[in-house]
Amino acid sequence: MAVLNRMDWYDLARTTNWTPKYVTEDELFPPKLSGDFGLPQNAWEKYDEPYKQTYPEYVKVQRDKDAGAYSVKAALERSRIFENADPGWKSVMKAHYGAIARGEYAAASAEARMMRFSKAPGMRNMSTLGCLDEIRHGQMQLYFPHEHVSKDRQMDWAFKAYDTNEWGMIAARHFFDDIMMTRDAISVSIMLTFSFETGFTNMQFLGLAADAAEAGDHTFANLISSIQTDESRHAQIGGPALKVLIENGQKAEAQKRVDIAVWGAWKLFSVLTGPIMDYYTPLEHRKQSFKEFMEEWIVAQFERALTDMGLDLPWYWDIFLKDIAETHHGMHMGSYFWRPTVWWNPAAGVSPDERAWLEEKYPGWNDTWGQCWDVIIDNVVDGNMAMAYPETLPYVCNMCQLPILGTPGKKWNVKDYPLEYNGRLYHFGSEVDRWCFEQEPERYAGHLSIVDRFLAGMIQPMDLGGALAYMNLAPGECGDDAHNYAWAEVYRALRATKKAV
Amino acid sequence: MALFPITSNFEGDFVLQLVAVDTENTMDEVAAAAAHHSVGRRVRARPGQILRVRRQGAEDFFPRTMKLGEAGLKPTETVEIIWEAPKH
Repeated sequence: MAVLNRMDWYDLARTTNWTPKYVTEDELFPPKLSGDFGLPQNAWEKYDEPYKQTYPEYVKVQRDKDAGAYSVKAALERSRIFENADPGWKSVMKAHYGAIARGEYAAASAEARMMRFSKAPGMRNMSTLGCLDEIRHGQMQLYFPHEHVSKDRQMDWAFKAYDTNEWGMIAARHFFDDIMMTRDAISVSIMLTFSFETGFTNMQFLGLAADAAEAGDHTFANLISSIQTDESRHAQIGGPALKVLIENGQKAEAQKRVDIAVWGAWKLFSVLTGPIMDYYTPLEHRKQSFKEFMEEWIVAQFERALTDMGLDLPWYWDIFLKDIAETHHGMHMGSYFWRPTVWWNPAAGVSPDERAWLEEKYPGWNDTWGQCWDVIIDNVVDGNMAMAYPETLPYVCNMCQLPILGTPGKKWNVKDYPLEYNGRLYHFGSEVDRWCFEQEPERYAGHLSIVDRFLAGMIQPMDLGGALAYMNLAPGECGDDAHNYAWAEVYRALRATKKAV
Repeated sequence: MALFPITSNFEGDFVLQLVAVDTENTMDEVAAAAAHHSVGRRVRARPGQILRVRRQGAEDFFPRTMKLGEAGLKPTETVEIIWEAPKH
């Protein structure tokens, strides 16, 4: 029997809208879940997905991808890559798996919302495949780290992180709850797939894959490259939805969703990916600086995606371009200084050679972040460890839930962006975080940051021990310096040489 | 007397921090409490200089002997802690 070409039947086969007789359209597609933006069903039928794939094709391709990634893992299982890896690289894996694996699983439910509730048949088809993608990503990124759990207790956070009140995970949950778990189908397509996935997952999955291959961790490199091939397909779900909205006079609402999601994604990447690329990855394995990656993979690509779509650059683009050279240095210093509160061991990344690299990539680094590191290094060299740890909490932003920080030292510009709303004083890390909150204050106002919880007496006793217990960090899981301060030896030697002279 | 949380924005440091003080504390005592979490940890001491307190964005410092309870600050409001060289 002759088989029709896919393109001869695809559009017809996935045209699955009909006129309901027994229920109203609103009952079939409740607006709160569908996000119809006041547009009738037939407006959404114009949604034309750029990437058309059938279920049999999908299954065949995915089977091959799985076979590839799992066979690399099996082949390298006895290679002792993990045991022999630089401790900084192990921290990269731990941070990545904890922050990402279960989030992928949650994303399957966001994709399922588009699959069931979108009025656009093409979107329903693409997100059916997207949902299966996310289940695959969740399962793989739990299975791959599992072989290391018996070797290193922090690896257990690949599974555990999302169930905890660890501060970074509160931030991750706040962001993903906002863009994908509590939004209608159309908003999910804009905020999760177009803004977060098109904009940012390239960074984590392609940028990091390059560093992983350089570091000799081919299992991890293959895994995340395999995931990215799915991401680059289902990230295209949002584009045609934006087109429908713009054509039907809804550009302002579409733009607002893009602007909120892009900013939140940026903040999350500044704490997760920035320190990994510029501080944890061993110097000899770094391909590009975080800023260079951001400029090549995100700024250029995303500017084109937005303008091609007929959208504007977010109003805060100038602030964003300035931030990509600054914010992650502070996020690194914060997660290093408060290292007992993370589930990986941060690598300081400030040996003289690494500082020279930082100064080259970020001119002025030594006069700013370097000034704070000078004090930290002196304390480590002197064995004055009590002063190399904190005794209070950093103040965190009521939008992104991350520390409120800026550039220290000679270019000190740290600033709070406060807002009083219904008698409560909120604090924000930037003008943009505050703007996001102001777009829909009631959506965010009831949330308590880790500092709000501390002040409300929810963390007892009110000391480090109480805070670690609240964050579910058991002994053996709390972070400490990845290299056990071995990097300080060179400073000790330099000091001895100086004295001798 | 009452415990009072403020947010410290310490000159030269990189992050805002929660600092517990008391409404009876003078501004010099507030500055010292904030310094405990910054100076010697990430900010070098500046011998001979003193620390002054002001509301974020304000030009003028609070008087050094003013009690925190008299400053009209809200709980968790951000104050800047600024180095001041001695006047000759």
